[in-house]
Amino acid sequence: MRKVAIVGIGHTVFGNLSEFDLVDVMSFASANALEDAGILKDRKIIDQLFVANMGGGIINHQTGIASALVSRIDLEPAMAELVENGPASGASAIKCGFAAIASGMVDTVMVTGGELMRTVTGWKGTDFVATLLHPEVEYNYGLTLPAFAGIFTRMYMERYGLTERDLALVAVKDHENGARNPYAHVQIPVTVEAIHEGENAHVINNYVAEPVRLYGTCPVSDGAASLILCAMDSPKMKYFTKKEPVLISGIGSATDTHCVHHRKDPLDLKAVHLGAERAYKMAGLKPEDMSFAELHDAFVILELAISEEVGFFQKGKAQEAVREGVTRIDGRLPINTSGGLKAKGHPVGATGVSQVYELVKQLRGEAEEGRQVKNPKHGLAVNFGGFGNNVVATICSKEA
Amino acid sequence: MLDFSVYGQEQQEVYAYKCPECGTLDYPAPMICKVCSARRDPSGVIFSAWEQVPLSGKCKLLGWTRVYALPEGFDVKYLLFAVVEFENGLRASGRLLVDDPQTGMELTAKVGVVKEKVGEDVYGFMFDRV
Amino acid sequence: MIIDEMEKKLRPPEMGLKPYPPKVITLASGELMVVREAKREEVGVLLETIHPLMGVPKDFYDIVAARMFAEILGWYRYRVANEFVLVGAIDGVIAGIVNSRCVDEKVGMSLHTIAIKRGLRAGAQLFAAKMEHHLENIGEEQVYIVAESPIGFKRWMIEYELENWEDRYPQVSHELGGVPTYVLTRKLYDAVRDQKVTGTRPVDPAVLATADKLKAPDEYAQIPGFKRGK
Repeated sequence: MRKVAIVGIGHTVFGNLSEFDLVDVMSFASANALEDAGILKDRKIIDQLFVANMGGGIINHQTGIASALVSRIDLEPAMAELVENGPASGASAIKCGFAAIASGMVDTVMVTGGELMRTVTGWKGTDFVATLLHPEVEYNYGLTLPAFAGIFTRMYMERYGLTERDLALVAVKDHENGARNPYAHVQIPVTVEAIHEGENAHVINNYVAEPVRLYGTCPVSDGAASLILCAMDSPKMKYFTKKEPVLISGIGSATDTHCVHHRKDPLDLKAVHLGAERAYKMAGLKPEDMSFAELHDAFVILELAISEEVGFFQKGKAQEAVREGVTRIDGRLPINTSGGLKAKGHPVGATGVSQVYELVKQLRGEAEEGRQVKNPKHGLAVNFGGFGNNVVATICSKEA
Repeated sequence: MLDFSVYGQEQQEVYAYKCPECGTLDYPAPMICKVCSARRDPSGVIFSAWEQVPLSGKCKLLGWTRVYALPEGFDVKYLLFAVVEFENGLRASGRLLVDDPQTGMELTAKVGVVKEKVGEDVYGFMFDRV
Repeated sequence: MIIDEMEKKLRPPEMGLKPYPPKVITLASGELMVVREAKREEVGVLLETIHPLMGVPKDFYDIVAARMFAEILGWYRYRVANEFVLVGAIDGVIAGIVNSRCVDEKVGMSLHTIAIKRGLRAGAQLFAAKMEHHLENIGEEQVYIVAESPIGFKRWMIEYELENWEDRYPQVSHELGGVPTYVLTRKLYDAVRDQKVTGTRPVDPAVLATADKLKAPDEYAQIPGFKRGK
């Protein structure tokens, strides 16, 4: 398989961009990536565009988004397709781009993910994300992703002794990193006293889906992120001299049951485990080789659960690592140095691409002061689709 | 002649489906039997549509939550939801009517209206104290 | 004070409202928001704070700001009966303002809630403080409430489970636009009080002192690139 490198990255601010057009927002991130790669003028060398988006049809009343985007940034006649995999759309689009290059079909690919969710009310937004669930036996009840996070969190607490304080500590860490990330949706640090210990905490940090609290869930965000991929052995690499290429050394995904009740043990995130295993195998690496990770914390509990499933900590032990500060920026294994979905935000289609953007930024040594990992070699990103039923893991490495 | 008995059908059921080849039950209805690979045809024309077996009665509470952030159309302060396991091993998600649940408690599965849609009400599980 | 005959005619009779005891809330960022009643002489900084938001159509800020500006000016000029104004201040900088008025000893008429500092639920805390003042301090029995925006509707009508009095319209309506109203009764308030109302009393004198001189914010997240003109 050909070696695939990331040679350009772009991002918009995540937040409330509802006054803008979805494809304009995605184009802005795409153009930022073209500039970062040094090919704004030579953009037509891109062979293929993969676009990640989940709600365009439902929320923004737009379909054929890849076709719209390819024209908006003047990339015709490149091939262009939309990849939709719920909240894992971003990483799935990267996987498609990777496969297109690795197979020899094309040489250069642009992957852009974006979402514009804040054009509708919060509870329409919740409803839209809930369409991921089984229509008859889950969605019709008014079940939502936060509801399943609530059920999952309670089971986790009852089995492993996780406390609300542990979840608050993760939120504090994420916000601390997010405060140093100019692209983050929420750049306000929070304190564990204010959101957990203090007198006002139970009102400030109220239950959303008990026992999940407000500061245990990510915000609803708009935004886009973009990457440019190229085959290392392609003659087109001569265009990419601005920045050091970062390798996609491994990528894999797996699926689990659609209905949450079909899972033998709902706390067993099989798709996370297998997706990561497939990525490690392709990269020839192990969990211990990872210097840092971006783990899909749409709900803070998932940062813990995913970190265990990918082999960083034993099952049920992640909270100990959090208490010891292992996953902070100055710890042994920084997790969610970007602020994670919790503070950086979660424009659903953009997230998977944004996570890999962060991997590249860290591996290049370009992260802002106060949130740069020291000498990273390999980074892992896990993008979680549905409620754990379709998960994509991506490993990026500094060029050997 | 018109059949007026279709109106006023109060007693509704939620059904599990039984594989005609190996008898395995599943909920919701699969398109391929996970055990023996027998196929299901919802129209019943090419293959069997599979026998429906009512799912109700005694079940155990596996996990639950109280949700304040509800989607469009649910204009109440909060709702409780649960995942339960029936005696036959099948599991289901649904509304929980118990306000102070304990994981592992025994519940009974009833069927009620979970959503009113144009032309037809949607029925689903309501789990309540025994 | 001697009030001119004409001025007397133009002013409404006063009920004489109990003062609001200040409290302090620790917001998620760890910042302390002092919640206290505004004084008449502070009307300048209140109006100055609200004014720029009249030009922001997003999230209904324009109508809320415009109406609140008029109500606060009315409070100051003695042209609105029995109105009170509460402010939330972080280090003296105004983070949010709520205003409301008492129709009589039993009924309150909630006017407006404006959050200047965003991302910390300041608006929700101030709305709760407003209800606390009506029902616990002043001792009224019911507060009429309406919303101009979907956010307001969701936060109040659903989270407080307000009584829907749409069927009493148009005989019973809310002053704001004469629209159908919702009502917070003492019973409903008591049911949600512990989850909605928070804050510590008395306020540490050093903290309270930071809110002695209110300041208008220099930045508005709602107005990128805002510069307060001279």
